[in-house]
Amino acid sequence: MIIARQLRKSFKPASRLSGKGKRAKRIVAVDDVSFDAADGSITGLLGPNGAGKSTTLRMLATLVSPEHGHAIIDGFDVQHDVLEVRQHLGFMPHNAGIYPRLTSRENIHYYARLCGLDNRQSQQRVGELIEQLSMSDFADRRTAGFSQGQKTKVALARALVHQPQTIMLDEPTNGLDVMATRGLRDIIRTLAANGHCIVFSSHIMQEVAALCDHIAIISNGVIAMEDTLQGILQRTAQTDLEDAFVVATRSLQDNALDTNRS
Amino acid sequence: MNLFIVMFKEIVDNLRDRQTVFYALLFGPVLLPLLLGGSMVASFKQLSIDFDQITRLSVVNADKAPQLIEFLYSNNVDVDPAPRNVQSSVRYGDTLVVLEIKDDFASALRAGEPAPLTLHMNNADKDSSKAARRITTLLRVYEQTINALRLQHRGIDPLTFDSLNIIQNDVSSDGANGQLLASILPFLFIMSMVMGGFYLAIDTTAGERERQSLEPLLSLPLSRTAVVFGKYGATLCFVTLSGLLTALSIYTLFKLFPVELMGGQIRFDGKTLTRAFLLASPLLLFISALLITVSAITRSTKEAQTYLGLLMVIPMAPFFLLQFLNVRSTTMSMPIPMLSQYQLLESTVLGDTIPWLHIALSAAGTLIATAVLLFLASHLYRRERLLH
Ligand SMILES: Nc1ncnc2c1ncn2[C@@H]1O[C@H](COP(=O)(O)OP(=O)(O)OP(=O)(O)O)[C@@H](O)[C@H]1O
Ligand SMILES: [Mg+2]
Repeated sequence: MIIARQLRKSFKPASRLSGKGKRAKRIVAVDDVSFDAADGSITGLLGPNGAGKSTTLRMLATLVSPEHGHAIIDGFDVQHDVLEVRQHLGFMPHNAGIYPRLTSRENIHYYARLCGLDNRQSQQRVGELIEQLSMSDFADRRTAGFSQGQKTKVALARALVHQPQTIMLDEPTNGLDVMATRGLRDIIRTLAANGHCIVFSSHIMQEVAALCDHIAIISNGVIAMEDTLQGILQRTAQTDLEDAFVVATRSLQDNALDTNRS
Repeated sequence: MNLFIVMFKEIVDNLRDRQTVFYALLFGPVLLPLLLGGSMVASFKQLSIDFDQITRLSVVNADKAPQLIEFLYSNNVDVDPAPRNVQSSVRYGDTLVVLEIKDDFASALRAGEPAPLTLHMNNADKDSSKAARRITTLLRVYEQTINALRLQHRGIDPLTFDSLNIIQNDVSSDGANGQLLASILPFLFIMSMVMGGFYLAIDTTAGERERQSLEPLLSLPLSRTAVVFGKYGATLCFVTLSGLLTALSIYTLFKLFPVELMGGQIRFDGKTLTRAFLLASPLLLFISALLITVSAITRSTKEAQTYLGLLMVIPMAPFFLLQFLNVRSTTMSMPIPMLSQYQLLESTVLGDTIPWLHIALSAAGTLIATAVLLFLASHLYRRERLLH
């Protein structure tokens, strides 16, 4: 379970040319993000490129710490109980980030050992995952040259290796074909049915509409609306998510203008 | 525990990388000794020392014997004031030799008695005994002049006492070649240690960032210190392996060449090489830390290679510095990592006795520098900036 409240994060701009003399303005990646993700359900973080989805997930994964606000994962604070949060969390970042000179099995085994499983437990768990994610064809091949779908599976297996209660996937269907996407959706549904809390980010409306029980729309670092698909459609008086998205983000801009004026 | 899992994984992973393995197991230990050792042997007997060079001599009570000082000066010896503590200064190599003129030197000379002089020298140090030999020779000449004057004063022909006329003709190269060959050992050792860990250090730090595998790794329930030290441990293994193999190959190489015939008292036997390896062992820790820290600072493997490539000048600098400037082993140079090991290893091969103080200072200086670097590396890994 995830409870995020008023998260905020900004970065120093990478280029030093822009801020000659005076201090360069910081880039606000996440301004005000609050949402809940319940156990046993799939929560979609929906937003366009640069909305702050990855930055939000990084804060929840204890990789960067928020400047403001707080977040609780399975009862542990992301800023104070770092190791407990990591123990309860499986995080698959945007890029698979697997080791090309190791085989799929070795990649997963490495993470299993680092999560505290002993050699025997780890081998057993890796075997389970290879079967569960139908990876046996490429389980003992080095991952250099793997297709995007194969890489994603290895990365997903790694994120699941310590049986975390909460699972966060950053744009997991990126680069996957129709069949692979369907396969991944089935895996995600099964995990949710088994009581896991799933959060996944995407900029694809249909995907979020098809898969998620709960949707948080993020734009410019702010959560514009958070509800079930039905709820969002009702509140925006639209019939499909794409139109609802436009309305929700526009109302956010109007609000911002109002507060600026007053 | 996690530290060893990270370390083991990095070792296995990098053993599968051809470039890393080539530089760790072949370049430093085999190629470098063959290339350098071979060309050294070929260029033997081409260097000698210029004995008419002006040298400096520290003298206590120089004002007590102005004529002697004048004589030394006319023989290319410039006089310096003596260091405060003569004994330890000579012992630890801060001064080569010190000539002490006793207080009653002038009065003894006037009275026609033997005038007391003390020459402080360190026979274990080749440079010191060489300098002492030169000064003694000059003093003998000065003594003969005085003798001649005294005899003439009594109306005796000085030549009566010169029954033999010995002319020394020194044909040895006096260690010049040996010196160069001796300086090759530390160079080979240090260079192959650096090359041994070079690619692994880059791959495990900057490479991991570039592959974007660092982000998922750092979201696992383990401390970042374990990550840093695991990577450090893996680098240390490669650096040590490379160093050991180099010792072995130098041993084999110089077994094949008749070093004794090549002028010089240098040794490359098993005992000497073991000692050399032990003296250089603090460098294993230092070099690994340097490699890991520098490549952890950089953003990409390319940048890491550039920075470390520039840093390669550091292990080479003492080699050239010592060749051309003849920087001597002193208590001042000992705490400096790399430089001190160059000097210690050179002395080892030349068979000089090394004071324990020097060994201790060298190890301590190197270990302190290592600790600072490792502290910096683990600090770098705790920063958020590491991720982007
Ligand atoms: N390390 C950083 N340094 C500077 N700016 C950053 C950094 N990380 C993110 N940003 C900025 O913050 C904003 C949000 O980035 P983020 O990666 O969270 O977006 P996103 O929603 O994941 O986008 P995408 O769909 O393209 O992955 C962007 O404007 C980005 O340029
Ligand atoms: Mg993103």
